[in-house]
Amino acid sequence: MNNWPGAGKLAMKTANKVLLVTLALAVTAAALATGSCSKPEKTKVRVLCANSLMYPLDSIEKAFEALHPDIDILTEGHGSIQVIRHVTEIHEESDLLIVADDSLIPMMMYATKIPDTDKNYADWYIKFAGNTLGIAYSEKSKYTGEINGNNWYQVLSRPDIKLGFADARLDACGYYALMSLALAELYYKDDSILENVLGPFDPPLKTGKEGTVATITVPEILRPASDKTIVRGSSIRLLALLDSGDIDYSFEYRSVAEQQGLKFIELPAEINLGSAALADYYGQVKCVMEFQRFATVLPVFTGEPIIYGVTIPANAPHADIALQYLEFLLGEEGQKIFVSSHHPMIPPAADNPSNLPPGLEKLLKSLGGG
Amino acid sequence: MKTIKGTQSWLTIGLIIGVILLIAAAAIYFFNLNREEPVKWDVTLVGKNGNQKVLSYQEICKLPSTEAQGGFFTTVGVVNGPYEVKGVLLQDLCALVGGVTADDVVSISANDGYSMVFDYEQLTGDIPTYDPVTLHELPHEKQEVLLIYQQDGKSLSDSDGKPLRLSVVGSERLLTEGHNWVKWVNKIEVMSLE
Repeated sequence: MNNWPGAGKLAMKTANKVLLVTLALAVTAAALATGSCSKPEKTKVRVLCANSLMYPLDSIEKAFEALHPDIDILTEGHGSIQVIRHVTEIHEESDLLIVADDSLIPMMMYATKIPDTDKNYADWYIKFAGNTLGIAYSEKSKYTGEINGNNWYQVLSRPDIKLGFADARLDACGYYALMSLALAELYYKDDSILENVLGPFDPPLKTGKEGTVATITVPEILRPASDKTIVRGSSIRLLALLDSGDIDYSFEYRSVAEQQGLKFIELPAEINLGSAALADYYGQVKCVMEFQRFATVLPVFTGEPIIYGVTIPANAPHADIALQYLEFLLGEEGQKIFVSSHHPMIPPAADNPSNLPPGLEKLLKSLGGG
Repeated sequence: MKTIKGTQSWLTIGLIIGVILLIAAAAIYFFNLNREEPVKWDVTLVGKNGNQKVLSYQEICKLPSTEAQGGFFTTVGVVNGPYEVKGVLLQDLCALVGGVTADDVVSISANDGYSMVFDYEQLTGDIPTYDPVTLHELPHEKQEVLLIYQQDGKSLSDSDGKPLRLSVVGSERLLTEGHNWVKWVNKIEVMSLE
Protein backbone atom coordinates (compact mmCIF):
# COMPACT_ATOMS: atom_id res chain seq x y z
CA MET A 1 0.00 0.00 0.00
CA ASN A 2 2.48 2.60 1.16
CA ASN A 3 4.59 2.40 -2.06
CA TRP A 4 5.16 6.11 -2.86
CA PRO A 5 8.62 7.54 -2.16
CA GLY A 6 9.12 8.67 1.41
CA ALA A 7 6.07 6.76 2.62
CA GLY A 8 8.23 4.56 4.87
CA LYS A 9 9.90 7.59 6.49
CA LEU A 10 6.52 9.21 7.08
CA ALA A 11 5.15 6.03 8.60
CA MET A 12 8.20 5.85 10.86
CA LYS A 13 7.66 9.48 11.93
CA THR A 14 3.97 8.76 12.61
CA ALA A 15 4.82 5.69 14.67
CA ASN A 16 7.33 7.71 16.67
CA LYS A 17 4.73 10.41 17.28
CA VAL A 18 2.22 7.80 18.48
CA LEU A 19 4.85 6.41 20.81
CA LEU A 20 5.70 9.85 22.11
CA VAL A 21 2.04 10.75 22.67
CA THR A 22 1.47 7.42 24.44
CA LEU A 23 4.51 8.00 26.64
CA ALA A 24 3.40 11.56 27.40
CA LEU A 25 -0.07 10.31 28.33
CA ALA A 26 1.39 7.60 30.54
CA VAL A 27 3.68 10.07 32.31
CA THR A 28 0.77 12.52 32.80
CA ALA A 29 -1.44 9.74 34.17
CA ALA A 30 1.32 8.59 36.51
CA ALA A 31 1.90 12.16 37.64
CA LEU A 32 -1.81 12.65 38.29
CA ALA A 33 -2.03 9.34 40.12
CA THR A 34 0.85 10.19 42.42
CA GLY A 35 -0.47 13.69 42.91
CA SER A 36 2.81 15.30 41.84
CA CYS A 37 0.89 17.85 39.78
CA SER A 38 -1.33 18.95 42.70
CA LYS A 39 -0.52 21.09 45.73
CA PRO A 40 1.30 19.35 48.56
CA GLU A 41 -1.22 17.61 50.87
CA LYS A 42 -1.67 19.03 54.36
CA THR A 43 -0.75 16.74 57.22
CA LYS A 44 -4.01 15.52 58.76
CA VAL A 45 -3.95 15.34 62.55
CA ARG A 46 -6.91 13.64 64.22
CA VAL A 47 -8.10 14.93 67.59
CA LEU A 48 -10.84 12.91 69.33
CA CYS A 49 -12.55 14.81 72.13
CA ALA A 50 -15.46 14.78 74.55
CA ASN A 51 -18.58 16.33 72.98
CA SER A 52 -18.69 19.10 75.59
CA LEU A 53 -15.32 20.39 74.32
CA MET A 54 -16.30 20.79 70.67
CA TYR A 55 -17.07 24.49 71.07
CA PRO A 56 -13.65 25.66 72.36
CA LEU A 57 -11.73 23.07 70.32
CA ASP A 58 -13.33 24.33 67.13
CA SER A 59 -11.71 27.71 67.83
CA ILE A 60 -8.43 26.08 68.91
CA GLU A 61 -8.39 24.19 65.59
CA LYS A 62 -8.79 27.39 63.56
CA ALA A 63 -6.17 29.31 65.55
CA PHE A 64 -3.63 26.46 65.38
CA GLU A 65 -4.15 25.95 61.64
CA ALA A 66 -3.65 29.67 61.06
CA LEU A 67 -0.20 29.30 62.62
CA HIS A 68 0.52 26.04 60.75
CA PRO A 69 -0.98 26.26 57.25
CA ASP A 70 0.51 22.87 56.34
CA ILE A 71 -1.52 21.10 59.06
CA ASP A 72 -5.18 20.11 58.95
CA ILE A 73 -6.58 19.42 62.43
CA LEU A 74 -9.59 17.09 62.31
CA THR A 75 -11.55 17.49 65.55
CA GLU A 76 -14.15 14.82 66.23
CA GLY A 77 -16.53 14.76 69.22
CA HIS A 78 -17.84 11.63 70.97
CA GLY A 79 -18.86 10.47 74.42
CA SER A 80 -15.68 10.17 76.51
CA ILE A 81 -15.65 6.35 76.67
CA GLN A 82 -16.12 6.20 72.91
CA VAL A 83 -13.22 8.65 72.43
CA ILE A 84 -10.86 6.10 73.97
CA ARG A 85 -12.56 3.02 72.47
CA HIS A 86 -12.00 4.37 68.96
CA VAL A 87 -8.29 3.83 69.61
CA THR A 88 -8.07 0.92 72.04
CA GLU A 89 -10.91 -1.30 70.80
CA ILE A 90 -11.87 -0.23 67.28
CA HIS A 91 -8.14 0.23 66.55
CA GLU A 92 -8.40 3.52 64.69
CA GLU A 93 -5.44 5.89 64.78
CA SER A 94 -5.67 9.21 66.56
CA ASP A 95 -3.10 11.82 67.50
CA LEU A 96 -4.70 13.26 70.62
CA LEU A 97 -7.46 12.11 73.00
CA ILE A 98 -9.33 14.51 75.28
CA VAL A 99 -12.01 13.20 77.68
CA ALA A 100 -14.45 14.73 80.17
CA ASP A 101 -13.63 12.17 82.87
CA ASP A 102 -9.87 12.00 83.38
CA SER A 103 -10.04 8.69 85.28
CA LEU A 104 -10.99 6.92 82.03
CA ILE A 105 -7.45 7.35 80.61
CA PRO A 106 -5.60 5.22 83.21
CA MET A 107 -8.54 2.82 83.43
CA MET A 108 -8.77 2.15 79.68
CA MET A 109 -5.25 2.92 78.35
CA TYR A 110 -2.55 2.36 80.97
CA ALA A 111 -2.90 -1.42 81.01
CA THR A 112 -4.04 -1.99 77.43
CA LYS A 113 -1.33 -3.09 75.01
CA ILE A 114 -1.12 -1.86 71.42
CA PRO A 115 -1.56 -5.02 69.31
CA ASP A 116 1.70 -6.78 68.37
CA THR A 117 3.75 -4.58 70.72
CA ASP A 118 4.61 -4.58 74.40
CA LYS A 119 3.65 -0.90 74.71
CA ASN A 120 0.54 0.38 76.49
CA TYR A 121 -1.67 2.92 74.71
CA ALA A 122 -0.69 5.60 77.24
CA ASP A 123 1.32 5.99 80.42
CA TRP A 124 0.67 9.67 81.21
CA TYR A 125 -2.07 12.27 80.92
CA ILE A 126 -2.66 15.88 81.85
CA LYS A 127 -5.64 17.24 83.79
CA PHE A 128 -6.32 20.67 82.36
CA ALA A 129 -9.98 21.75 82.49
CA GLY A 130 -13.03 21.47 84.72
CA ASN A 131 -16.75 22.14 84.58
CA THR A 132 -19.77 22.36 86.84
CA LEU A 133 -23.20 20.83 86.54
CA GLY A 134 -26.32 22.96 86.95
CA ILE A 135 -29.76 23.68 85.59
CA ALA A 136 -30.21 25.22 82.14
CA TYR A 137 -33.41 26.99 81.15
CA SER A 138 -34.80 29.51 78.69
CA GLU A 139 -37.03 32.58 78.64
CA LYS A 140 -39.97 30.26 77.91
CA SER A 141 -39.48 28.14 81.03
CA LYS A 142 -42.03 28.26 83.86
CA TYR A 143 -41.23 29.99 87.17
CA THR A 144 -38.10 31.72 85.85
CA GLY A 145 -38.71 34.68 88.17
CA GLU A 146 -38.81 32.41 91.16
CA ILE A 147 -36.17 29.70 90.73
CA ASN A 148 -32.67 30.15 92.21
CA GLY A 149 -29.70 28.22 93.60
CA ASN A 150 -31.49 27.56 96.90
CA ASN A 151 -35.00 26.52 95.89
CA TRP A 152 -34.24 24.85 92.53
CA TYR A 153 -35.16 21.34 93.68
CA GLN A 154 -38.47 22.54 95.10
CA VAL A 155 -39.39 24.31 91.85
CA LEU A 156 -38.31 21.35 89.72
CA SER A 157 -40.49 19.07 91.88
CA ARG A 158 -43.69 20.85 90.83
CA PRO A 159 -45.91 18.56 88.76
CA ASP A 160 -46.40 21.10 85.96
CA ILE A 161 -42.65 21.40 85.31
CA LYS A 162 -41.23 19.47 82.35
CA LEU A 163 -37.68 18.36 82.96
CA GLY A 164 -35.15 17.15 80.41
CA PHE A 165 -32.73 14.46 81.47
CA ALA A 166 -29.89 12.86 79.48
CA ASP A 167 -29.98 9.07 79.49
CA ALA A 168 -27.55 8.12 82.27
CA ARG A 169 -26.75 4.85 80.51
CA LEU A 170 -25.46 6.71 77.45
CA ASP A 171 -24.23 10.15 78.53
CA ALA A 172 -22.00 11.16 81.44
CA CYS A 173 -24.15 14.29 81.90
CA GLY A 174 -27.02 11.91 82.78
CA TYR A 175 -25.18 10.10 85.56
CA TYR A 176 -23.65 13.36 86.78
CA ALA A 177 -27.26 14.64 87.13
CA LEU A 178 -28.20 11.60 89.21
CA MET A 179 -25.12 12.14 91.39
CA SER A 180 -26.04 15.80 91.86
CA LEU A 181 -29.55 14.86 92.96
CA ALA A 182 -28.15 12.28 95.42
CA LEU A 183 -25.69 14.89 96.73
CA ALA A 184 -28.59 17.35 97.04
CA GLU A 185 -30.40 14.83 99.26
CA LEU A 186 -27.35 14.79 101.56
CA TYR A 187 -26.84 18.55 101.44
CA TYR A 188 -30.48 19.51 102.09
CA LYS A 189 -31.12 16.44 104.31
CA ASP A 190 -34.17 15.49 102.26
CA ASP A 191 -34.24 11.98 100.80
CA SER A 192 -37.21 12.62 98.53
CA ILE A 193 -35.45 15.05 96.16
CA LEU A 194 -34.41 12.55 93.49
CA GLU A 195 -37.86 11.01 93.14
CA ASN A 196 -39.71 14.33 93.36
CA VAL A 197 -37.54 16.05 90.74
CA LEU A 198 -37.33 13.21 88.21
CA GLY A 199 -40.75 11.64 88.78
CA PRO A 200 -41.34 7.88 88.55
CA PHE A 201 -39.59 5.49 86.16
CA ASP A 202 -40.75 2.07 84.97
CA PRO A 203 -38.76 -0.01 85.86
CA PRO A 204 -37.92 2.23 88.85
CA LEU A 205 -34.56 3.75 89.71
CA LYS A 206 -33.36 1.96 92.84
CA THR A 207 -31.69 3.87 95.64
CA GLY A 208 -29.83 2.40 98.58
CA LYS A 209 -26.66 2.53 100.69
CA GLU A 210 -23.39 0.64 100.39
CA GLY A 211 -21.78 1.38 103.74
CA THR A 212 -21.72 5.18 103.83
CA VAL A 213 -22.11 5.58 100.07
CA ALA A 214 -25.53 6.40 98.62
CA THR A 215 -26.14 4.34 95.47
CA ILE A 216 -28.51 4.85 92.58
CA THR A 217 -29.05 1.83 90.36
CA VAL A 218 -30.22 2.59 86.84
CA PRO A 219 -32.22 -0.28 85.31
CA GLU A 220 -31.50 -1.91 81.95
CA ILE A 221 -34.15 0.36 80.39
CA LEU A 222 -34.54 4.01 81.43
CA ARG A 223 -38.18 4.86 80.79
CA PRO A 224 -40.08 7.68 82.57
CA ALA A 225 -43.47 6.56 83.87
CA SER A 226 -44.97 10.05 83.66
CA ASP A 227 -44.77 12.91 81.19
CA LYS A 228 -42.95 15.11 83.73
CA THR A 229 -39.55 13.95 82.53
CA ILE A 230 -38.29 13.62 78.96
CA VAL A 231 -35.21 11.44 78.40
CA ARG A 232 -32.93 11.84 75.39
CA GLY A 233 -29.72 10.03 74.45
CA SER A 234 -27.51 13.05 75.11
CA SER A 235 -27.81 16.36 76.94
CA ILE A 236 -27.12 18.25 73.69
CA ARG A 237 -30.44 16.95 72.29
CA LEU A 238 -32.26 18.62 75.17
CA LEU A 239 -31.13 22.10 74.13
CA ALA A 240 -33.52 22.23 71.17
CA LEU A 241 -36.37 21.10 73.46
CA LEU A 242 -35.55 23.97 75.84
CA ASP A 243 -35.57 26.34 72.90
CA SER A 244 -38.92 25.07 71.62
CA GLY A 245 -40.48 25.13 75.10
CA ASP A 246 -41.12 21.37 75.14
CA ILE A 247 -39.20 21.24 78.40
CA ASP A 248 -38.68 23.91 81.04
CA TYR A 249 -35.37 22.87 82.56
CA SER A 250 -32.58 20.38 82.01
CA PHE A 251 -29.38 19.34 83.73
CA GLU A 252 -26.42 20.66 81.76
CA TYR A 253 -22.75 21.57 81.99
CA ARG A 254 -22.29 25.25 82.74
CA SER A 255 -19.94 25.67 79.76
CA VAL A 256 -22.50 24.27 77.30
CA ALA A 257 -25.38 26.35 78.71
CA GLU A 258 -23.36 29.55 78.42
CA GLN A 259 -22.05 28.70 74.94
CA GLN A 260 -25.66 28.25 73.82
CA GLY A 261 -26.82 31.51 75.42
CA LEU A 262 -29.12 29.74 77.87
CA LYS A 263 -29.90 30.85 81.40
CA PHE A 264 -28.21 28.78 84.08
CA ILE A 265 -28.70 28.10 87.76
CA GLU A 266 -25.44 27.54 89.58
CA LEU A 267 -25.86 24.86 92.22
CA PRO A 268 -23.98 24.84 95.55
CA ALA A 269 -20.40 23.55 95.27
CA GLU A 270 -21.36 20.50 97.36
CA ILE A 271 -23.75 19.48 94.57
CA ASN A 272 -22.29 20.78 91.29
CA LEU A 273 -19.29 18.37 91.01
CA GLY A 274 -17.04 21.32 90.17
CA SER A 275 -14.72 21.59 93.17
CA ALA A 276 -11.53 19.52 93.39
CA ALA A 277 -11.43 20.32 97.13
CA LEU A 278 -14.72 18.45 97.60
CA ALA A 279 -13.61 15.21 95.95
CA ASP A 280 -14.15 13.18 99.13
CA TYR A 281 -17.58 14.71 99.66
CA TYR A 282 -18.64 13.82 96.10
CA GLY A 283 -17.39 10.28 96.73
CA GLN A 284 -20.38 9.72 99.00
CA VAL A 285 -22.55 8.89 95.98
CA LYS A 286 -22.34 6.23 93.30
CA CYS A 287 -24.26 5.33 90.12
CA VAL A 288 -24.54 1.73 88.99
CA MET A 289 -25.91 0.88 85.53
CA GLU A 290 -27.58 -2.48 85.06
CA PHE A 291 -27.04 -2.02 81.31
CA GLN A 292 -23.41 -2.59 80.36
CA ARG A 293 -22.95 -0.70 77.09
CA PHE A 294 -19.27 -1.56 76.64
CA ALA A 295 -17.93 -5.03 77.37
CA THR A 296 -14.67 -3.60 78.77
CA VAL A 297 -16.11 -0.81 80.95
CA LEU A 298 -17.85 -1.73 84.17
CA PRO A 299 -20.58 0.91 84.41
CA VAL A 300 -20.12 1.90 88.05
CA PHE A 301 -19.37 5.59 88.55
CA THR A 302 -18.41 7.10 91.90
CA GLY A 303 -18.95 10.81 92.48
CA GLU A 304 -15.87 12.94 91.79
CA PRO A 305 -15.07 16.39 90.44
CA ILE A 306 -15.53 16.83 86.68
CA ILE A 307 -11.98 17.01 85.32
CA TYR A 308 -10.95 16.87 81.66
CA GLY A 309 -7.85 14.89 80.75
CA VAL A 310 -5.69 14.81 77.61
CA THR A 311 -3.08 12.37 76.32
CA ILE A 312 -1.23 11.46 73.14
CA PRO A 313 -1.67 7.75 72.38
CA ALA A 314 1.62 5.85 72.14
CA ASN A 315 0.75 4.86 68.55
CA ALA A 316 -0.22 8.38 67.40
CA PRO A 317 0.88 8.77 63.75
CA HIS A 318 1.82 12.45 64.27
CA ALA A 319 2.93 12.57 67.88
CA ASP A 320 5.25 15.51 67.23
CA ILE A 321 2.44 17.69 65.85
CA ALA A 322 0.07 16.47 68.59
CA LEU A 323 2.64 17.74 71.09
CA GLN A 324 2.77 21.15 69.41
CA TYR A 325 -1.06 21.27 69.46
CA LEU A 326 -1.12 20.32 73.13
CA GLU A 327 1.42 23.02 73.98
CA PHE A 328 -0.77 25.51 72.10
CA LEU A 329 -3.92 24.29 73.88
CA LEU A 330 -2.35 24.60 77.34
CA GLY A 331 -0.50 27.83 76.54
CA GLU A 332 -1.60 31.45 76.66
CA GLU A 333 -3.52 31.42 73.37
CA GLY A 334 -5.40 28.22 74.25
CA GLN A 335 -6.32 29.59 77.67
CA LYS A 336 -7.72 32.76 76.10
CA ILE A 337 -9.89 30.67 73.77
CA PHE A 338 -11.19 28.56 76.64
CA VAL A 339 -12.06 31.68 78.67
CA SER A 340 -13.93 33.23 75.73
CA SER A 341 -15.70 29.87 75.24
CA HIS A 342 -16.92 29.91 78.88
CA HIS A 343 -15.03 26.72 79.62
CA PRO A 344 -13.01 26.82 82.86
CA MET A 345 -9.40 25.62 82.77
CA ILE A 346 -7.49 24.45 85.82
CA PRO A 347 -3.72 24.63 86.43
CA PRO A 348 -2.48 21.68 84.38
CA ALA A 349 -1.29 18.69 86.36
CA ALA A 350 0.28 15.52 85.02
CA ASP A 351 -0.43 11.96 86.04
CA ASN A 352 2.90 10.08 85.86
CA PRO A 353 4.93 13.26 85.13
CA SER A 354 8.13 11.24 84.63
CA ASN A 355 6.57 9.74 81.49
CA LEU A 356 5.66 13.09 79.90
CA PRO A 357 7.10 13.80 76.45
CA PRO A 358 10.23 16.01 76.59
CA GLY A 359 9.37 19.68 76.93
CA LEU A 360 5.88 19.19 78.30
CA GLU A 361 6.96 18.93 81.95
CA LYS A 362 8.79 22.25 81.63
CA LEU A 363 5.73 23.84 80.05
CA LEU A 364 3.48 22.60 82.87
CA LYS A 365 5.82 24.11 85.48
CA SER A 366 5.87 27.41 83.61
CA LEU A 367 2.05 27.38 83.65
CA GLY A 368 1.93 26.89 87.40
CA GLY A 369 1.01 23.23 87.23
CA GLY A 370 3.08 20.13 87.66
CA MET B 1 12.66 0.31 2.36
CA LYS B 2 12.09 -3.26 3.45
CA THR B 3 13.85 -2.60 6.75
CA ILE B 4 11.75 0.49 7.43
CA LYS B 5 8.58 -1.44 6.63
CA GLY B 6 9.74 -4.24 8.94
CA THR B 7 10.49 -1.81 11.79
CA GLN B 8 7.13 -0.14 11.30
CA SER B 9 5.36 -3.49 11.48
CA TRP B 10 7.19 -4.49 14.67
CA LEU B 11 6.41 -1.13 16.23
CA THR B 12 2.73 -1.48 15.36
CA ILE B 13 2.63 -5.03 16.73
CA GLY B 14 4.49 -3.89 19.87
CA LEU B 15 2.07 -1.05 20.38
CA ILE B 16 -0.96 -3.30 19.91
CA ILE B 17 0.45 -5.88 22.35
CA GLY B 18 1.26 -3.09 24.84
CA VAL B 19 -2.26 -1.69 24.66
CA ILE B 20 -3.77 -5.16 25.03
CA LEU B 21 -1.58 -5.88 28.06
CA LEU B 22 -2.52 -2.54 29.61
CA ILE B 23 -6.24 -3.18 29.09
CA ALA B 24 -5.89 -6.69 30.50
CA ALA B 25 -4.02 -5.42 33.56
CA ALA B 26 -6.64 -2.72 34.13
CA ALA B 27 -9.46 -5.25 33.74
CA ILE B 28 -7.85 -7.64 36.26
CA TYR B 29 -7.27 -4.77 38.68
CA PHE B 30 -10.87 -3.53 38.51
CA PHE B 31 -12.24 -7.06 38.66
CA ASN B 32 -10.28 -7.73 41.84
CA LEU B 33 -11.24 -4.34 43.22
CA ASN B 34 -14.95 -5.03 42.83
CA ARG B 35 -14.86 -8.71 43.70
CA GLU B 36 -16.35 -9.39 47.11
CA GLU B 37 -15.05 -12.17 49.30
CA PRO B 38 -17.82 -14.44 50.52
CA VAL B 39 -19.01 -13.09 53.87
CA LYS B 40 -18.29 -15.33 56.86
CA TRP B 41 -20.42 -13.99 59.69
CA ASP B 42 -22.86 -15.52 62.15
CA VAL B 43 -25.48 -13.94 64.36
CA THR B 44 -26.55 -15.74 67.52
CA LEU B 45 -30.20 -15.32 68.45
CA VAL B 46 -31.11 -16.04 72.07
CA GLY B 47 -34.72 -16.34 73.25
CA LYS B 48 -35.81 -15.43 76.75
CA ASN B 49 -36.17 -19.13 77.64
CA GLY B 50 -32.54 -19.67 76.61
CA ASN B 51 -33.33 -21.00 73.10
CA GLN B 52 -30.42 -20.37 70.79
CA LYS B 53 -30.25 -20.25 67.03
CA VAL B 54 -27.25 -19.30 64.94
CA LEU B 55 -27.90 -17.76 61.53
CA SER B 56 -25.24 -17.14 58.94
CA TYR B 57 -25.11 -13.89 56.98
CA GLN B 58 -26.34 -15.79 53.92
CA GLU B 59 -29.29 -17.24 55.85
CA ILE B 60 -30.24 -13.79 57.12
CA CYS B 61 -30.16 -12.39 53.58
CA LYS B 62 -32.64 -15.10 52.51
CA LEU B 63 -35.22 -14.16 55.17
CA PRO B 64 -38.19 -11.95 54.15
CA SER B 65 -36.77 -8.46 53.84
CA THR B 66 -37.99 -4.90 54.33
CA GLU B 67 -36.78 -1.80 52.51
CA ALA B 68 -37.03 1.62 54.14
CA GLN B 69 -35.28 4.97 54.56
CA GLY B 70 -33.55 6.65 57.43
CA GLY B 71 -30.32 7.98 58.82
CA PHE B 72 -28.69 9.02 62.04
CA PHE B 73 -26.61 11.75 63.57
CA THR B 74 -23.77 11.71 66.07
CA THR B 75 -23.92 13.44 69.44
CA VAL B 76 -22.24 16.49 67.92
CA GLY B 77 -24.76 16.65 65.10
CA VAL B 78 -22.84 15.06 62.22
CA VAL B 79 -25.55 13.75 59.89
CA ASN B 80 -25.22 10.36 58.16
CA GLY B 81 -27.83 9.61 55.51
CA PRO B 82 -30.75 9.31 55.10
CA TYR B 83 -30.07 6.04 53.27
CA GLU B 84 -32.17 3.51 51.41
CA VAL B 85 -31.67 0.34 53.43
CA LYS B 86 -32.66 -3.29 53.15
CA GLY B 87 -32.75 -5.84 55.93
CA VAL B 88 -34.77 -8.02 58.26
CA LEU B 89 -37.15 -6.75 60.93
CA LEU B 90 -35.68 -7.24 64.40
CA GLN B 91 -39.04 -8.53 65.56
CA ASP B 92 -38.96 -11.24 62.86
CA LEU B 93 -35.54 -12.36 64.07
CA CYS B 94 -36.77 -12.46 67.67
CA ALA B 95 -39.75 -14.54 66.49
CA LEU B 96 -37.32 -17.29 65.46
CA VAL B 97 -36.44 -17.84 69.14
CA GLY B 98 -39.86 -17.46 70.73
CA GLY B 99 -40.71 -13.82 70.04
CA VAL B 100 -40.76 -10.66 72.12
CA THR B 101 -43.55 -9.24 74.29
CA ALA B 102 -44.28 -5.88 75.93
CA ASP B 103 -42.51 -7.06 79.12
CA ASP B 104 -39.27 -7.90 77.33
CA VAL B 105 -36.20 -6.04 76.16
CA VAL B 106 -33.93 -6.94 73.28
CA SER B 107 -30.17 -6.60 73.69
CA ILE B 108 -28.09 -6.12 70.55
CA SER B 109 -24.37 -6.89 70.80
CA ALA B 110 -21.51 -6.29 68.39
CA ASN B 111 -18.15 -7.95 67.96
CA ASP B 112 -16.34 -4.81 69.15
CA GLY B 113 -17.89 -5.16 72.61
CA TYR B 114 -20.59 -2.50 72.12
CA SER B 115 -24.21 -3.21 72.94
CA MET B 116 -27.54 -1.43 72.97
CA VAL B 117 -30.86 -2.41 74.46
CA PHE B 118 -34.38 -1.73 73.15
CA ASP B 119 -37.67 -2.03 74.98
CA TYR B 120 -40.81 -3.20 73.22
CA GLU B 121 -42.04 0.33 72.54
CA GLN B 122 -38.77 1.26 70.86
CA LEU B 123 -38.80 -1.99 68.94
CA THR B 124 -42.18 -1.06 67.53
CA GLY B 125 -41.04 2.39 66.48
CA ASP B 126 -41.47 4.65 69.51
CA ILE B 127 -38.12 6.40 69.09
CA PRO B 128 -37.66 10.19 68.71
CA THR B 129 -37.07 11.19 65.08
CA TYR B 130 -35.40 14.30 63.70
CA ASP B 131 -35.43 16.47 60.61
CA PRO B 132 -32.31 15.70 58.51
CA VAL B 133 -31.64 19.41 57.89
CA THR B 134 -32.53 21.22 61.12
CA LEU B 135 -32.10 18.25 63.50
CA HIS B 136 -35.27 19.40 65.23
CA GLU B 137 -37.54 16.69 66.54
CA LEU B 138 -40.33 15.76 64.16
CA PRO B 139 -43.26 13.42 64.75
CA HIS B 140 -43.21 10.30 62.60
CA GLU B 141 -45.62 7.73 61.34
CA LYS B 142 -44.17 4.24 61.45
CA GLN B 143 -40.55 3.56 62.34
CA GLU B 144 -39.04 0.10 62.37
CA VAL B 145 -35.89 -1.47 63.72
CA LEU B 146 -34.10 -3.47 61.03
CA LEU B 147 -30.97 -5.57 60.89
CA ILE B 148 -29.64 -4.29 57.56
CA TYR B 149 -27.22 -5.79 55.07
CA GLN B 150 -27.66 -3.27 52.26
CA GLN B 151 -27.33 0.50 52.19
CA ASP B 152 -28.08 2.52 49.06
CA GLY B 153 -28.13 -0.67 47.02
CA LYS B 154 -24.71 -1.92 48.14
CA SER B 155 -23.39 -4.26 50.81
CA LEU B 156 -22.25 -2.40 53.91
CA SER B 157 -18.69 -1.09 54.01
CA ASP B 158 -16.41 -1.84 56.97
CA SER B 159 -16.92 1.63 58.41
CA ASP B 160 -20.70 1.26 58.06
CA GLY B 161 -20.72 -1.94 60.11
CA LYS B 162 -20.06 -4.66 57.53
CA PRO B 163 -21.79 -7.02 57.19
CA LEU B 164 -24.79 -6.42 59.49
CA ARG B 165 -25.90 -3.27 61.22
CA LEU B 166 -28.96 -2.20 63.19
CA SER B 167 -30.97 0.72 61.85
CA VAL B 168 -34.09 2.66 62.78
CA VAL B 169 -35.94 3.54 59.60
CA GLY B 170 -39.32 4.32 58.06
CA SER B 171 -40.83 5.85 54.99
CA GLU B 172 -40.17 9.52 55.81
CA ARG B 173 -36.37 9.71 55.50
CA LEU B 174 -35.97 10.90 59.11
CA LEU B 175 -32.98 10.64 61.41
CA THR B 176 -32.58 9.01 64.81
CA GLU B 177 -29.80 9.19 67.39
CA GLY B 178 -26.67 7.34 66.30
CA HIS B 179 -26.28 5.11 69.37
CA ASN B 180 -29.13 2.94 68.06
CA TRP B 181 -27.30 2.12 64.81
CA VAL B 182 -25.16 -0.69 66.22
CA LYS B 183 -22.41 -1.80 63.78
CA TRP B 184 -21.03 -5.33 63.35
CA VAL B 185 -24.02 -7.03 65.06
CA ASN B 186 -23.28 -10.60 66.14
CA LYS B 187 -25.82 -11.32 68.89
CA ILE B 188 -29.49 -10.56 69.51
CA GLU B 189 -30.91 -11.57 72.86
CA VAL B 190 -34.49 -11.34 74.15
CA MET B 191 -34.61 -10.81 77.91
CA SER B 192 -37.47 -10.50 80.33
CA LEU B 193 -37.68 -7.28 82.34
CA GLU B 194 -39.39 -9.14 85.18
